[in-house]
This record gives sequence, C-alpha cells and structure tokens, in this order.
Amino acid sequence: MTRVPRLAVVLNRLQLASPILVASGTFGYAREMADFTDFSSLGAVIPKTVTARPRIGNPPPRTVETASGLLNAIGLDNDGLAVFITEHLPYLVELPTAIIANIAGHSLEEFQQMAETLDATQGLSGLELNISCPNVSGGIDFGTNPTMAGQVVERVRQATSLPVIAKLTPNVTDIVAVAQAVADAGADAVSLVNTFHGMVIDWRRRRPVLGNTTGGLSGPAIKPLALCATWKVANAVEIPVIGIGGIATIDDVMEFLVAGATAVQIGTASFYDPGLASRLVSDLQTCLRDLGLDSVGDVIGTLELPESSAAARS
Amino acid sequence: MDEASPTPAGLVPTAVQRTARVIEQVEMARDTFRLRLECPELAKRILPGQFFMVREPGLTDPLLGRPFALFDVACDSQGEPVGIDFGYVVVGKLTRRMVRWKPGDPVSVCGPLGNGFPEPCDGHLVMVAGGIGQTPFLAVTREALGQRRYGDPPRTAAARPELTLCYGARSANQLAGIDSFPAEGLDLRVATDDGSHGHHGFVTDLLQDLITNESAPTMIYTCGPEPMMEAVAMLAAEHDIACRVSLETPMACGFGACFSCVTRIRLDNGQWDYRRTCVEGPVFPAEKLHWSDR
Ligand SMILES: Cc1cc2nc3c(=O)[nH]c(=O)nc-3n(C[C@H](O)[C@H](O)[C@H](O)COP(=O)(O)OP(=O)(O)OC[C@H]3O[C@@H](n4cnc5c(N)ncnc54)[C@H](O)[C@@H]3O)c2cc1C
Ligand SMILES: Cc1cc2nc3c(=O)[nH]c(=O)nc-3n(C[C@H](O)[C@H](O)[C@H](O)COP(=O)(O)O)c2cc1C
Repeated sequence: MTRVPRLAVVLNRLQLASPILVASGTFGYAREMADFTDFSSLGAVIPKTVTARPRIGNPPPRTVETASGLLNAIGLDNDGLAVFITEHLPYLVELPTAIIANIAGHSLEEFQQMAETLDATQGLSGLELNISCPNVSGGIDFGTNPTMAGQVVERVRQATSLPVIAKLTPNVTDIVAVAQAVADAGADAVSLVNTFHGMVIDWRRRRPVLGNTTGGLSGPAIKPLALCATWKVANAVEIPVIGIGGIATIDDVMEFLVAGATAVQIGTASFYDPGLASRLVSDLQTCLRDLGLDSVGDVIGTLELPESSAAARS
Repeated sequence: MDEASPTPAGLVPTAVQRTARVIEQVEMARDTFRLRLECPELAKRILPGQFFMVREPGLTDPLLGRPFALFDVACDSQGEPVGIDFGYVVVGKLTRRMVRWKPGDPVSVCGPLGNGFPEPCDGHLVMVAGGIGQTPFLAVTREALGQRRYGDPPRTAAARPELTLCYGARSANQLAGIDSFPAEGLDLRVATDDGSHGHHGFVTDLLQDLITNESAPTMIYTCGPEPMMEAVAMLAAEHDIACRVSLETPMACGFGACFSCVTRIRLDNGQWDYRRTCVEGPVFPAEKLHWSDR
C-alpha cells in the first residue's frame, strides 16, 4: 500500500497534473502567492482576468465580508492585455505549473482578438473565458444567454488552438442550457461558478457598502449552491466540469469530485489561507490513499442516489 | 505600469503563514488591548510600519484575516526576537472575539506585509498619531533611539533624529500605552478632544504649534483617521516638510491578491490610478496620495 494515488486529470485537450487549481482574481498574478504556495503541486494557476485595454476598476470599498462569505466588486482592475503579456506572462510561464489565462472581452471581436494575441505567446496551457463577471457594465452579458455564450466559444476556438474553458455565471435560470451551448460550440471544459449577485447595506447611513452598490458573493456561504450547479451540469453535459465555489477543505474538494467535477478551483479561501491550495493537493493524496484508490478518477462522479430520489435527478 | 511601482507589483519577499500562540493579553485603555503572539519567524523579519493579517483558525465568520500594525517585537532573555505585539481597539466581529483570547490559544498570522517606514532620517522626526494609529510609532521610536534593531538581517539606524510624538485621542481613558513609550529621548505631546488630558483639541493643533513656534521638522510620519492624516499632509505640504502617511484601508487578503484595498495614487502625468495599499503601502509619501473624493 505504498502506491501514490494518481492525481492527473484530463479535460479533453487539457491535461493537468492535479485537479486542484486556483481561481482567477483570487491568486493575483501568482507573484503575490510565491511565499505561501508550492506552485508545482497545483494543477494550474489562473491569473486575474485580463481585458483588452487597461481598466481602472470600481471605486472602493471593493469588498465587504458577509456571514461566511465575501462580497466583491473589483471591476476587473487590470493593466490590459499588452501589459499582461510583457509584465506578468514571462513570470507566470516560468512557474512549474500549467498557466491558464483568463480573458474577458466586450464583444465577440474582442474575445477573438485577445485569443489570437495570446495564441502567439509561448507557454500557456489554455484559456478560460470569463463570460460571467457580475461587476462590469458596458460589455455584452455573454454568460446569461446560451446562444451568445456559444458564439464566444466558437470565435475563440477559431482564433486559437489552445484548450478553452468557459467560466459560467450562476446568475441564470438554467445554467445547464448555457453549459450545453458552450459544450456544443467546442469548449474543452466548463468552470462554474463565478460569484452570485449580492448586496450589503449600511442601513444607518442608508447607503450600499460597496462602491459599486452591488457585487458578487463568494466563499463558504455559496458552497451548497455551487455544488448543486456543478452536479446538475456534470450530469447534463459531455465535457468535463471544473467546480468552483466556497471550497476550503478536503471534504469540500471530495464533495465536488463526487458530484461530478473533474477538477476544482480554490478561490476566496486563498485570501485567508494562502497556503491552502497546495496543502489540499497533499490532503487529496492522503484521502485517496486512505480510501485505497489508485487514481482521483475513481471518485469523480461517484454520487449514488437512493432509488426514491433518482426521479428527482436533473 | 509606471514609476509608482518600485518593485514588480505584489512582490512579497519575506512573508510567512503560521499558527502562533497567544502569550499574553493586556488592557491598554478603554476597549483597547495589546496582544502578544509567539511567532519567532515573523518577529525576526518585521520592520516598523509593516503589518500582518490575524485570524481565528477554524472559523468562517469572521472569515478573512484582519490587518494589524506591529506595535513591537518581544525578545527573549538572549535578545532573540520571539513574539510580536499589536494593539487593537474593539470595533467589530473579530476584535470582539479577540478580547476573549487566552494565553496558549492558536491564532493564524500571515506576515510581515507591506513596506513599513523608511530607516530613521537625520534631523527632527515628528510622528502624528490619532487613536490606535499610534501603534506603529513605538517600534519607529525604539529603532530611531538605537534601542532595538528590526528586520532580517537587522537594519542599523545610521541616523539619530530628534523625536517628537504628537498623540491625539478622544478622551484620557482612550490614550493607550503612553507608558510603553520611552521616557528618555522622545518628546511626547498629547491632545484630547475633550481636554481630559494634555491639549484640549486636535492633535493637528500640536503639529501646527510645533511648526510655527519651534523649528520645522525634517520629516513627519502620520497614522490615524484619514481626515486627520489629510490635515497633517496639508500642513506638511504648506511648510514643505517631507511626510509619510500610513493608511488603514480595509483589506481582504493583505498580500496583493485581491485588489480590494486600493487607494488613489498620483501619477507623474497628473492623472491618478488605484494602487494596492497592502503591497505598495501602507506607508506612502504624502504627496503621492490623491486625497479628494476617496
Ligand atoms: C495596515 C493596517 C494596519 C492596521 N493596524 C491596526 C492596529 O494596529 N490596531 C487596530 O486596532 N486596528 C488596526 N487596523 C484596523 C483593523 O484592521 C480593523 O479595526 C479590524 O479589521 C477590525 O476588525 P473587526 O472584525 O473587529 O471589525 P469588522 O467587523 O470587520 O468591522 C470593521 C469596521 O467596519 C464597520 N462595518 C462592518 N460591517 C459593516 C457594515 N455592514 N456596514 C457598515 N459598517 C460596517 C464596523 O462597524 C467597524 O467599524 C489596521 C488596518 C490596516 C489596513
Ligand atoms: C475578490 C474576487 C475577485 C475575483 N475576480 C475574478 C476575475 O477577475 N475573473 C474571474 O473569472 N473570476 C473572478 N472571481 C471569481 C472567482 O474566481 C470564483 O469563481 C468565485 O469567487 C467563487 O469561488 P470561491 O467561493 O472559492 O471564491 C473573483 C472572486 C473574488 C472573491
């Protein structure tokens, strides 16, 4: 029993050494985490969303803590694609892990151009398309419309040979329909969820707490919601699902894997426990070994429904 | 990217994440306490004006760490740094829980974070503190007096400035840790809003007085409520005195990953941009800050 369980996972064209990834916007550009993280243990690092042009972001306060959660409206504060490529990418691609750039465009053309530009760089393992950020106005809300979501994926697929992940918003009536559309359009995987629309009010001052009035909720508070979305999508679409939302312990990781996620992303938890993601990789190894399993694949999608509730599926 | 970033954005070269133990907790003033945590690695590295994130392990509410400035480093009998002290005021979720922390309790700490104050300068250094904003100045004072060295390797203060601390609080019972400050080598001047101790009025009156009636200081450091710091920065600008401001912008992570603790920084082209207080500050040259409408 000294076998080391295999953690490698395959998400269509994307092959990762471990199913533990870190979520965009919660890991900076990775430099910020260098003192706390063993990058080589991670399946992939997904840096903060990059947009075609620099964005100043939303006025502060940009975050406020809620019961077991965090509400944020950062507003995609970033220096734009050109600076990303000259300042951040050289550092990122030298790290001993896969790098998946996360991009957000204002239009189909912009998504396509950004994908083309990144296709010409060296060292990326894939692209994650942020069609789900709740804190920016002006662009088209691709993630809430299955047809539009599919078109983004199609255009990006034409622009690059890199594997493509579509990151979905939970702020829709039917997330399965969006997942199905991006799968049909050729996405290698879907990642879900981005944050849930939320609000905090300082009622004494009769004012919203966030500078942007509303924001996106993340952290342990959203885990059951994210898990349910993951389970529904994993049951409905052929492509692999990357589960995101409130993951902070090895039990959380196992729940998402059992629900059908092929990989997971650690988000908000990295803010209060920056060493967590790499620790979870060894926790996962230990957990699989204790279960006597050879590979993480042996737990993915192993949820069993009692007879009586089987009808309630999907 | 521009000249305002001295190092690649977000570079934190020395921070550690540890579970520390509470060594002691002492009441300093009304609703104000000092906690000492055992954490040698952090104690050895931290500089005056740097901070660390503190959280109660295992809880999800409060969820995030909270930033606290170094008050002082505690050393063992051999003079080795073993503990970190910070002072806190009870204001919300975590600080209300902290009051109940007992020796031996585990505490998650992450640091040292931020840039801290520069090395002591020559001439006359005046520190202007409002409320709990006084905490960074004990370590600044000790370093400037040559009583203690901070950092790894320990930095040596080349200069020995004349030191004045102007410290303001709402009332006498909220003046914290006055007796912690060295009696020798520091000119401590106090103001209270209600006149119950020292000057009756704002701490900025003390600074104004000092500038008008004595000689202008070489350097001003300030930490406290933003309106106070803005007033200090205005005075410094008016009299052409170098000034460093330590901001207390609320933070979610403390090490640059979340981009929430942004503050407006002036650029050379006359524009401003949001910059992360945690990694580019919390100490900024006053003239870099874009105060209005923040
Ligand atoms: C670099 C730095 C150094 C610092 N150093 C020190 C220090 O040395 N000592 C010290 O005492 N403090 C210091 N602070 C401030 C300290 O971090 C805060 O006081 C601390 O985070 C409070 O935590 P809490 O959980 O007790 O309060 P929280 O519950 O987080 O509340 C914080 C404040 O926000 C208000 N608030 C919270 N939620 C809401 C809401 N929904 N609507 C309206 N208002 C709300 C609360 O009333 C309170 O005033 C520092 C801050 C920074 C950035
Ligand atoms: C402060 C903050 C910033 C975020 N920024 C981004 C971003 O730039 N791009 C993106 O795709 N998701 C962003 N997210 C969403 C996260 O990647 C993740 O999907 C979400 O927080 C849910 O996971 P969690 O509960 O583990 O944090 C951000 C989340 C937070 C809390």
